[in-house]
Amino acid sequence: MAASVRRLVAASPMLLVATLTLGNGFGTATPVAQTAIREVKFSDAKLKNGLRVIISEDHAAPVFAIAVNYNVGSRDERKGRTGFAHLFEHMMFKGSENVGPGEHPYLIFSNGGSMNGTTNKDRTLYFEILPANQLDLALFLEADRMRSLEITGPNLDNQRQAVQEERRLGVDNQPYGKTFEVRDELAYENFAYEHSVIGSMADLSAATVDDVASFFKTYYAPNNAVLSIVGDVDSKVTLEKVRRYFEALPSQPAPAAVDMTEPAQAEERRTTIEDGLARLTRLDMVYKIPPSSSPDADALQVLGTVLSSGRSSRFYETIVRQKELSPSVNAFPGESRGPGLFTVIGIVTPGKAVADLEAAIDAEVERVKNGPIEPWEMEKARNNARSQLVNNLGSALGRAITMGQDALFYDQPGRLNTTAARIAKVTPEDVQRVARQYLVKTGRTVVITVPKPAPAKGGL
Amino acid sequence: MRRTPVAVLAVSLATLLPPHPVQGQAGTQQQPPSTAGLVVKGKAPVSNAVLAVKLPHPQEATLANGLRVMVLEDHRLPRISFQLMMPGAGGYYDPAAKVGLSGVTAQMMREGTATRSSQQISQALETMSANLNVGSGASGTTATMSGGALTENFAPLFDLAADILLNPSFPGDEWDRLKTRTRAGLVQQRTQPQFLAQERFSKVVFGDHPGSRVSATPESLDAITRDAMVECHRTRFVPDHALIAFAGDISLAAARTLVESKLGAWKKAGVAKPAVTEPAAAGTAKGYLIARPGSVQTTFVVGAQSMTRTDPEYVPLTVANRVLGGTMGRLFRHLREEKGYTYGVGSFFSALEHRGQWSASTSVRTEVTEAALNDLLADVEAMRTAPVPEKELNDAKRAIVAGFALSLESPEQLLGYYVQSWLYGLPADYWDSYPALISGVTAAQAQAAASKYWDPSRLQIVAVGDAKITDTMKKRGALELYDAEGKMTP
Repeated sequence: MAASVRRLVAASPMLLVATLTLGNGFGTATPVAQTAIREVKFSDAKLKNGLRVIISEDHAAPVFAIAVNYNVGSRDERKGRTGFAHLFEHMMFKGSENVGPGEHPYLIFSNGGSMNGTTNKDRTLYFEILPANQLDLALFLEADRMRSLEITGPNLDNQRQAVQEERRLGVDNQPYGKTFEVRDELAYENFAYEHSVIGSMADLSAATVDDVASFFKTYYAPNNAVLSIVGDVDSKVTLEKVRRYFEALPSQPAPAAVDMTEPAQAEERRTTIEDGLARLTRLDMVYKIPPSSSPDADALQVLGTVLSSGRSSRFYETIVRQKELSPSVNAFPGESRGPGLFTVIGIVTPGKAVADLEAAIDAEVERVKNGPIEPWEMEKARNNARSQLVNNLGSALGRAITMGQDALFYDQPGRLNTTAARIAKVTPEDVQRVARQYLVKTGRTVVITVPKPAPAKGGL
Repeated sequence: MRRTPVAVLAVSLATLLPPHPVQGQAGTQQQPPSTAGLVVKGKAPVSNAVLAVKLPHPQEATLANGLRVMVLEDHRLPRISFQLMMPGAGGYYDPAAKVGLSGVTAQMMREGTATRSSQQISQALETMSANLNVGSGASGTTATMSGGALTENFAPLFDLAADILLNPSFPGDEWDRLKTRTRAGLVQQRTQPQFLAQERFSKVVFGDHPGSRVSATPESLDAITRDAMVECHRTRFVPDHALIAFAGDISLAAARTLVESKLGAWKKAGVAKPAVTEPAAAGTAKGYLIARPGSVQTTFVVGAQSMTRTDPEYVPLTVANRVLGGTMGRLFRHLREEKGYTYGVGSFFSALEHRGQWSASTSVRTEVTEAALNDLLADVEAMRTAPVPEKELNDAKRAIVAGFALSLESPEQLLGYYVQSWLYGLPADYWDSYPALISGVTAAQAQAAASKYWDPSRLQIVAVGDAKITDTMKKRGALELYDAEGKMTP
């Protein structure tokens, strides 16, 4: 799993909710005038203790969302303590000086809101969405745990168990659950990205209260976080409140920068693993690509769209529909602050050969490198970007998360305002160039997961 | 952005809800037994006001062919979405030997029309980044076509939607391909313990009633022919009792013009409103174990039949269910936050045109199978034997009522409320009065609903896990054993 998400929400399916669907641009006939999409306005301030605060007013609905992005992820972990950033995320719900264990989520939910936390390789994110009259509640809760997390042995043991169950649920009890771990271990040489976010059972068991306390002090300092607030709030009043709740928190020395250096890969890496829970063979191929801050990131995004976005994509049309080698093949560049991966994943149709699936994927990749890219394929990529932006405008939470993360990753909280224009600048030649440069066999890692023959009847 | 046309009043609903009490350290003593997973210090500043939201109402009209048009006009963003609900076209009405017929019929509709190939449809939709789906669940009574686009592309999207609805060609080669993909999916879903558990649970609770259906099977897929799909589309995807609902940047007049011009050829079939029957009462409560080789967790689904959506006990059971198995509810606090047995646990229920199902579910490590099941059942039983303490009850009600403010962000979500009203025949002012209905539930009413629906003699226990838990499961009484193919084993 690239990211492990806590799922506290177990709401009853009370409502029929229409799928939020969006459209954009126009592809086939006469061009239609594009609706102008408004720019997202925001303020960007830094408190005396280094906390960066992004506020964006939107009075469309009586709600606001708050996101706190901490500049710490599994890439900051050291050997023997894998899974720690995520285990720590769980501890953030177990109480602080003025908030009891579990009280934070309890207060959010019992006041009609929603919340969660999530950890990936590059950051740890906490967020809430609430009715507009509960701004003080959200700020108080986030400030109290940033200031005074209560770290006790029983709480740590309890959440260690919850995380170990999360690992069983998402990895050890799932078909292909271990494929991601094997893939990253083989693809990366640098420990920062080589190990999984969820971590190993042994390392989780070894984590101590002292580890938690020092991790908190180092990484959960105001100068190592971005607070973003979007919705039905007054910017000025909100910033004053933020100062009141957060400005007294002391800053800490900046954590040491993580060495993200990844040696150049000279030849293809390949392995085959058996999986007792899988029934169909799966092919995973990852190609090394530069960090998402690279100027090539937009062209790689378009490349992913051309290859595998929707049923008009090349992978779907050729490999799924015509050749029936797979019921689905996906290809996408992962967002990554360090050396990234362009991932291709395909399940093998029963009765077909994994080698044929791999050959068909390779053939499509070569076709992108050497053949024309149709104007409609470029238009699709442009319209997807516009569509994503309008989607974001319909969700205060989506914007709070995106703006906070973009501030942390790219130092550009307003990056969402420029995405569509950046994608629109990508040319077919750019797409071919990045395909030729990065989708090369010497830079890739291939993991084939095959079903393990069934054990004796009745299980173990 | 200008303020929403939705009127929002910030008032303290003293008449609806008691104020949220500030709770001291000692507050935990009035909580139910399973509160070690939560300590309320009561120092955080909570606004006692509940944002009373005035929900916008859709405008409606009925067309000559029987089609009902509903529009929730909202110009905050330049986009429009729609959903077309066709009663009688859902999998509920499929012949028993052809379970999944309407589902594959719906999927095949976008695989080609008289004038467009599957590829052309995909390319047209995705180039404008529009969205269009036709779907029908295995047990639901309606099939749905839904879609959306930016305002500037909505007319071409709707044109395409009309073609797919009225002129599907069911090409034989595309049917062969869909079958291949579907078969792979049927194999894949059997690797998921949650699927295996839900498949058995639905069967146990509903028996042969169509509500028990969860998916097509390899056998039913073999039995479905192109002719059967053509016939299903012709006779069941009809406008007679259907609804088309729009949300977003469109007026009723514009929606009506669009529907009349594009769907003018959709003729009334003259069919009666499709009826449903109630499932027979489930048999004696029992245990069921599906052996899943290699499982490191036991996945439980425990539950029974529930009620129809219009049953007066729907509201008290909603509150009781929130207390027991909602977010941060008793099950979560007890099984996860106190005991560390699981990553997630909750309870859920459906209430439909016929009786639905209620269940509590979780996945726990194999070693704690017995303890976790005992604790889960004890929490259910506590809801029956003791009234929910006042603060806990008020918090649960407040969670539901205050949460309405969040739905105002999304016209699609608001429209969902009214589609639900239409589907189940709820009163026109139902959602306006819903907060008061929820707030009015007393501890005694919640307890009475829990007592009735969660009686241990009704609770079926389905477990998916390693065969080594067989003896543990047998301790609770009669146990039926199944393999991962869903076949009974000796």
